[in-house]
Amino acid sequence: MFDSVEDVQQRFKNARYIASRRISTVVYLSERMGRPVLIEGPAGVGKTELAKTLADITNRPLIRLQCYEGLDEGKALYEWKYAKQLLYTQLLKDRIGELIADAPSLPDAVARIAGQDDAFFSFRFLSQRPLLLAIQSDEPVVLLIDEIDKAEPEFEAFLLEVLSDFQVSVPELGTVKAKHVPLVVLTSNNARELSDGLKRRCLHLFIDFPAPAEELEIIRLKVPEIPAKLASAVVAAVQKIRALELRKPPSVSESLDWARSLVILNAQTLDAALVESTLTMLVKYEKDLERVKGALDKVLAP
Amino acid sequence: MDERILEFIGDLRRAELRISPSEALDALSASAEVGLTDRETFKATLAATLVKESRDLETFERIFNLYFLDLQALGEGIKKALGPEDARVQDLLDRLVDEEGLELDDLTELLMRGEGSEMEMAIRAGGQNAGLERLMYFLQVGYFSRKIQDKFDWSAIERDIEKIMRMLEAKGLDPGQLARIRNYLELRLEAFNRMIRQHVERELERRAYRQGEKLTREVLSEKPLFALTPEEVAQMKNVVSRLARKIKDALALRQRQEQKGRLDTRRTIRKSLSYGGVPMEVFLKRRHREKPKLITVCDVSDSVRNASRFMLQLVWSLQECFSRVRSFVFVSEIAEVTQAFSTYPVERGIEWALKAAPVDYHCRSDFGFAFSRFANTELESLDRKTTILVLGDARNNYNDPQAWALRLIRERVKGIIWLNPEGQWGWGIGDSVMPMYAPACDLVRECRTIGQLGEVVDNLVHHWWRRGR
Repeated sequence: MFDSVEDVQQRFKNARYIASRRISTVVYLSERMGRPVLIEGPAGVGKTELAKTLADITNRPLIRLQCYEGLDEGKALYEWKYAKQLLYTQLLKDRIGELIADAPSLPDAVARIAGQDDAFFSFRFLSQRPLLLAIQSDEPVVLLIDEIDKAEPEFEAFLLEVLSDFQVSVPELGTVKAKHVPLVVLTSNNARELSDGLKRRCLHLFIDFPAPAEELEIIRLKVPEIPAKLASAVVAAVQKIRALELRKPPSVSESLDWARSLVILNAQTLDAALVESTLTMLVKYEKDLERVKGALDKVLAP
Repeated sequence: MDERILEFIGDLRRAELRISPSEALDALSASAEVGLTDRETFKATLAATLVKESRDLETFERIFNLYFLDLQALGEGIKKALGPEDARVQDLLDRLVDEEGLELDDLTELLMRGEGSEMEMAIRAGGQNAGLERLMYFLQVGYFSRKIQDKFDWSAIERDIEKIMRMLEAKGLDPGQLARIRNYLELRLEAFNRMIRQHVERELERRAYRQGEKLTREVLSEKPLFALTPEEVAQMKNVVSRLARKIKDALALRQRQEQKGRLDTRRTIRKSLSYGGVPMEVFLKRRHREKPKLITVCDVSDSVRNASRFMLQLVWSLQECFSRVRSFVFVSEIAEVTQAFSTYPVERGIEWALKAAPVDYHCRSDFGFAFSRFANTELESLDRKTTILVLGDARNNYNDPQAWALRLIRERVKGIIWLNPEGQWGWGIGDSVMPMYAPACDLVRECRTIGQLGEVVDNLVHHWWRRGR
């Protein structure tokens, strides 16, 4: 699918995502080795976006499984549509009656009904959840398992099983094997330690806040109408704000929002009043706001 | 190349990165996929397959740079050091070889004309049998450099240099030029020797990276707490936070092993109503692990202050392992310091508790008074889920021990664990009233070193609450 690491990098760039050498290498390896990628890093550095772009450049549909506390197999893999099964048996009561009408004995009747098992335990009555969808899909897909750290450790162990063989067993139907090995991307915000097993299985990628040059490239790419001077001023300011030890330092997506709002306001340069009035785009906590306002002259110093 | 990667993995393991055999295999097959042409790509490949904790990335980076030396940068560095003379003299030597039939020893050829990378490779080859695996201390660097130097035949080089100089003289170069050329040749010799030394130093660093740190940690965890110097107290903070992480990691592992519990009849029947009484969906009772509530009561008089400091740090770094933590400090008056930990980060909270809590730090310890006050004011707030962790040497300065107070407290709580920073041989001797308090405690442990402290807290987190009572 990819010819080389450079090819990956170029394709990401064409899809308007700046992938560093490290990121492209890991994506390339993941495709080559059929291994999931586990992406860690602070919120808003483009972890989820990476998976979306990957689906985009490979022309594969994206299947997303958002993790949360209490997520279980029923919601991640498959579930029988009990109500529908029940409804069908009720509606088909007559047919079932006919079927066993001339059965000579009870065991015989049971055997006849058992012969029809497949009618009720078939894919018709199975509601497929993201994991099963990804495995069953006729075309290759990108599977995004978002914020895996939010799910419980038990779920992680279960996931490990699925990700190591790319097959699941549905007791009534047998084993479903993946037709194509999907490209799997897991993201984590490090809310808790992930298990060693899962980490061992995955290629690990840590995405940190981008370096100034990279961030400038991202802003110019995503907000093309921004004046060059303003763009570098924005990057310099954001980098300095990140160094302030805030509760939540501004992420890339927030600096993009900020850049966009500055463009809308038709700004050409940054000055204290302008920054102060638009700061809420960048910093989301009251305490952080005060902190940045206090250090404003330092932030804006060239 | 595979061997070099495996050796590199060995270095990482020595620096305390956990790398499993399957990850090592991944690294090999992944690097075969990308090849070695691009250094950055190669580095990213190894990082993705071997380093699974972002906090280990720094160590990885350091060792990678030591092990997979950037030869190109090295060559450029040498070129720069040799200055503008380089091109001119090389030209001259070229002509001598071509026109005058100058013949040089292989080694001279390398030293006088080789690229930085070629020289480095020669040094590596020379170091192969020099016993570098025994290199452990900085003091050995000189010895091993010498040993590698001895592998090269220096007399041949001397001879060749003399030969070159004679030929140049015969060509009629003036003394000034000759001196400059000799100077240049000597510079190259020197550079080579320096490279040997740097090679040995690099070897030492990659072998011993973090070893010193590990050694300090081991020594510190066995050292009696009262004997720590202020610098050691500062270092100890890292030791304690490492200990806390270890306990937490182990806990995460254990949680996963816990299986689902028994059938939850109430919920199963309730749900079955929507299927006409058929239990289509079965619910299981999740076995709830109950996190212990913890109250720490620390003696903060001079003699045991260090022990209290580390216990507070350990307990508060593990607060998510407990459902609630409260902390009291006393000398003779007792005061609650929980507030400090909820307003300040752990470090500052401890400083506050040890220096600024509303107790008199300079009076003599009186355990009896402290316990009776505690029993009077806090008895109502205790319950069967609470475990009390007392830290003190039980040296009561001949005051009334008032052991009844501790017994009274014991009746209200799940258990009392007493940590004594004094060696067991001293309990009951002199003003120590440990034997009078011991019957009221579920567990009395000697806690002279950080290692012992870790053991007790680890036990508390993992086993204590399971005991049926």
